[in-house]
Amino acid sequence: MSWQVRVEHSTGYRYGNPVISSYNEARIVPQTASGQVTLEADVRTEPAATTYRYWDYWGTQVTAFDIHGPHQELIVTGRSVVQTASGRGRPTNVPRWTALADEPVTDRFVEFIRPSHSAPDHPELADTARELAARHTPDEFVPAVGDWVRERLTYRHGTTGVHTSAVDAWKQGEGVCQDFAHLALVLMRAAGLPARYVSGYLHPSADAAVGETVVGQSHAWVEGWLGDWWGFDPTNGVAVGEQHVIVARGRDYNDVPPLLGVYSGGSSTSLGVTVAVTRLG
Amino acid sequence: MLSRVAESLFWIGRYSERAEHTARILDVHVQRVLEDPWLDEASAGRELLAVMGLPAPDGETDSRGVTELLAFDPDNPSSITGAICAARENARGARDVVSSEVWECLNATWNDLSHSEQLARRLGPHVFFRTIRERTAMLAGLVDATLARDDGWRFLVLGRSLERVDMTGRLLSSSISEDPASQSWVSLLRSCGAHEAYLRTYRRAVDASRVAEFLLLDRLFPRSVYWSLSMAEQILAELDGARGRARFTLDDKARRIVGRTRTELEFRSVDELVDDMPDLLVSLQRTCSTVSEAVTTRYFARDAPRSWATEVPA
Amino acid sequence: MADLFEGYAAEAEATAAWDEVFEAPDTPRGVYSSLYDALQPLSSSDLAGRKAALDRAFRDAGITFNLFGEERPFPLDLVPRLLDNPEWEIIERGITQRIRTLEAFLADVYGRAEVLEDGIVPRRLVLSSAHFHRAAHGIDPPNGVRAHVSGIDLIRDEQGGFRVLEDNVRVPSGVSYVVENRRAMTRVFPELFATHRVRPVADYAAHLLYALRAAGPPDVADPTVVVLTPGVYNSAYFEHALLARQMGVELVEGRDLTVRNNNVTMRTTEGDKPVHVVYRRIDDDWLDPLHFRPESVVGCAGLLNAARAGRVTIANAVGNGVADDKLMYTYVPDLIRYYLGEEPILANVDTYRLEEPDQRAHVLERLDQLVLKPVDGSGGKGIVIGPQASAAELDALRAKIEADPRGWIAQRVVRLSTSPTLADDRLGPRHVDLRPFAVNDGTKIWVLPGGLTRVALPRGSLIVNSSQGGGSKDTWVLAPEASTRESVSIRNRPAGMSPPVAEGPDIGPSASSDQQQQQQQQQRRQLVVVRPC
Repeated sequence: MSWQVRVEHSTGYRYGNPVISSYNEARIVPQTASGQVTLEADVRTEPAATTYRYWDYWGTQVTAFDIHGPHQELIVTGRSVVQTASGRGRPTNVPRWTALADEPVTDRFVEFIRPSHSAPDHPELADTARELAARHTPDEFVPAVGDWVRERLTYRHGTTGVHTSAVDAWKQGEGVCQDFAHLALVLMRAAGLPARYVSGYLHPSADAAVGETVVGQSHAWVEGWLGDWWGFDPTNGVAVGEQHVIVARGRDYNDVPPLLGVYSGGSSTSLGVTVAVTRLG
Repeated sequence: MLSRVAESLFWIGRYSERAEHTARILDVHVQRVLEDPWLDEASAGRELLAVMGLPAPDGETDSRGVTELLAFDPDNPSSITGAICAARENARGARDVVSSEVWECLNATWNDLSHSEQLARRLGPHVFFRTIRERTAMLAGLVDATLARDDGWRFLVLGRSLERVDMTGRLLSSSISEDPASQSWVSLLRSCGAHEAYLRTYRRAVDASRVAEFLLLDRLFPRSVYWSLSMAEQILAELDGARGRARFTLDDKARRIVGRTRTELEFRSVDELVDDMPDLLVSLQRTCSTVSEAVTTRYFARDAPRSWATEVPA
Repeated sequence: MADLFEGYAAEAEATAAWDEVFEAPDTPRGVYSSLYDALQPLSSSDLAGRKAALDRAFRDAGITFNLFGEERPFPLDLVPRLLDNPEWEIIERGITQRIRTLEAFLADVYGRAEVLEDGIVPRRLVLSSAHFHRAAHGIDPPNGVRAHVSGIDLIRDEQGGFRVLEDNVRVPSGVSYVVENRRAMTRVFPELFATHRVRPVADYAAHLLYALRAAGPPDVADPTVVVLTPGVYNSAYFEHALLARQMGVELVEGRDLTVRNNNVTMRTTEGDKPVHVVYRRIDDDWLDPLHFRPESVVGCAGLLNAARAGRVTIANAVGNGVADDKLMYTYVPDLIRYYLGEEPILANVDTYRLEEPDQRAHVLERLDQLVLKPVDGSGGKGIVIGPQASAAELDALRAKIEADPRGWIAQRVVRLSTSPTLADDRLGPRHVDLRPFAVNDGTKIWVLPGGLTRVALPRGSLIVNSSQGGGSKDTWVLAPEASTRESVSIRNRPAGMSPPVAEGPDIGPSASSDQQQQQQQQQRRQLVVVRPC
């Protein structure tokens, strides 16, 4: 069963000194793809700016805007209503490991097999991946990777940043959803399974009441290619379902940052993120 | 015209004029030290440096030391070498606008600097001063002959005129003498290339008040302060004219200042002129820098250099 | 034999390369015969004198390049390189074919990527290229042109055939030297131009401006073009200024530009003025701090999105580097067949792809016989010439290749053709290449007749880049005898008819001879009067 969810996502910066101009791109509008439909979407900024919308290489809707004239704070708010995709069970007709190693597959998904900036390769992690792959078929392998990641990482805020790589988080033994996803990507790719990073939102409760607004979170998980893409949430150890709202996909965080920009003058600090989600039906 | 390029042209005008005048001033100074056996060389040197805005150095202020500082010091943008380098650097950034001939003249002058300097050390500084005078005259000629009378030319000539006001002021300051019949007034006129013009105008011997009148107020001589101010005023009006024509007060700050200074000079008697000279010269210099600032603010509109920083991702 | 060519034949023999001028010792090829006749009687001091005058002129004009922070005049050799018309036509067609292909390839990989789907080029090569800019995906240039200016490096092999060595469709530079070399040569060697019908190169800027204007946003009737330079300290600044000046457009730096709401403007003394076409001479990485290096101060934030929105055209387009890296080069012949259904007119130099295991193994055994080039390198940087490298260098190279096979290609050592070049006080054979420049205005690809002949000045050197001690030669494409276009006489006056003579300029009053005489007598008398005192 799919849900209809309203998401209100607010994020921004505060600057040390008044900033004369800034150029920004927000990737916060949910996608319409793979069963999910975005019914309404609207991005506003404060100070107000004319926004320009385009779809990037990864198919993500980007809201670009520039602000001129001194300002000390920038707040971006995205509101959307989304018909989420219902959860799918583990796929059937899954290709075998040998089929995944075939040239047509490796060529087609080359971007999702090669190590990436935040999910680099590491010999020890590659050994782990091979061990896990030897014991599982590809479809069992994905949840097994999730289990392994959750064993190694403790969920903790504030110890890692957006530029922390999977290897660093793994060595630290803690992190947030982004680090869980990156670490899972390293293992999946090391085993030869095409894998991509997904950013989006998560409704926290599986039996949410309709009409009730709760605090949600911006979230990240992964998708592995098992004959088709299949989403898995390594932080929570569950398959992706109606609670997940997909915004963007890419090789890792760097392809899908929710808010990215440059400005001139002063220094900036993040205002943090607030996400409010309401199940509408 | 790009603001950045306009600014470069303005400074080409200022620096090349500065190089020329500094060469002229130094030439007179060196000459005077040689010719006047009663002159205290060191204190005259200190006077000159002070007039040119340089603090007294630790070293000697004999004419050799002064020449080192004002002619050859590459780190001082007001020395001849420094001014030529700065002018050339500005021309490099505006090469698509200045004519090839203007650029080549400046560039060749710059290329020759070290050669001329060596020559000057062997044969005396006069050769260097003459080279600079010739090259800057050539530059001025090429500016007149090869640049269209567009805004680019206007900014260059504006810079030149303002610098001329400033430098003529300093030139006069450097020569103020207790003795109204001093030979130094003659050298002063010579250094401006004004001796003959003066003689033809007044048809009598050189005396202090007339020299001051001539260099400050002459309506026809193109190196007089009055003439340069009028030129600056006219160009500022042309630059301003195309944009917002004011019916009552002038909006343009630079125009107001130049106009006021010119009028104050214009309606002053010769006696007043001589009495107020030191103050007058200081205020002229101040006028130049204020106008320069006003022009910069209005036309060159530089904001702080933009450097970008990535926002902390949220 | 004149002393200028003394010992030339023996030295040329030793290089084992094709000589541009001589087909046999002392026997020049047909195209060079009159040049040879003109040069032979000259003495070496004559040449040296002309050379000194030339260097001086270049230095005064600031025609220099920056080498290790020092400004040096670009060394122009006095002996021109000649190409006859049939040979040039082949080059012209070959280059046009190549650029059409590269344009099609770029449009494809930044669009539907069919070439990857069809397996002509492995996806991994394109997607792993450092110059495949995903940020450029979806930017459609208004008239379809991405390589407004290209420079295709050619060499002549031992058999005398032209081969492509490298494609440059990012920001190829050097065309200013072509223009300036010609101007200098007409001054230094006017007599040679009387005996040769040389096709002109001075109209390059006019073609470039036309192409840039044609590339502007379609809804702008009279687009404003600017040249974007990193600034006066860039090694090619001279060229940026020259092109801006000759096109009559503004030469801007990043700090002169502002993007607001996808509208690009430049800051002028009369306020902000719109800009529609940016001919940028800044590398992709520094162009827009929002999408590339955020620390860039030479670029302009927001430029890429302005181009995406179709409000400004960036020339050359962002991301062109994916088409001209040295590995993609090996696929260009296949791409010509794929996109145009034609056979390549100009062949590649035989190249090994080290990314493929068999070829890599083959190459690693023969490192001492091959030339190894980094895929991303430019300006001859990082190139290792096997036969000239030490064992230690080869070992280091081997390790680098094994660590990053995608990063290298290997080629047979081609003895580039040689051309007589002034060295010390006589002419010696030196290796040369040729970089013709092409301008694509969307309807026609125009190839500048000639191009930049670069010459490796050190004896025996095969590296012609100016950053590695290279010089240049003026390159003359000789027009065919019967060309009608270029033999039009001034004002279409029929031959043999002399022009009407205008009246001469007015002459001022002059003293009559009587007066002169009297004045002289007066003087004499005065002298006489003076004497008794």
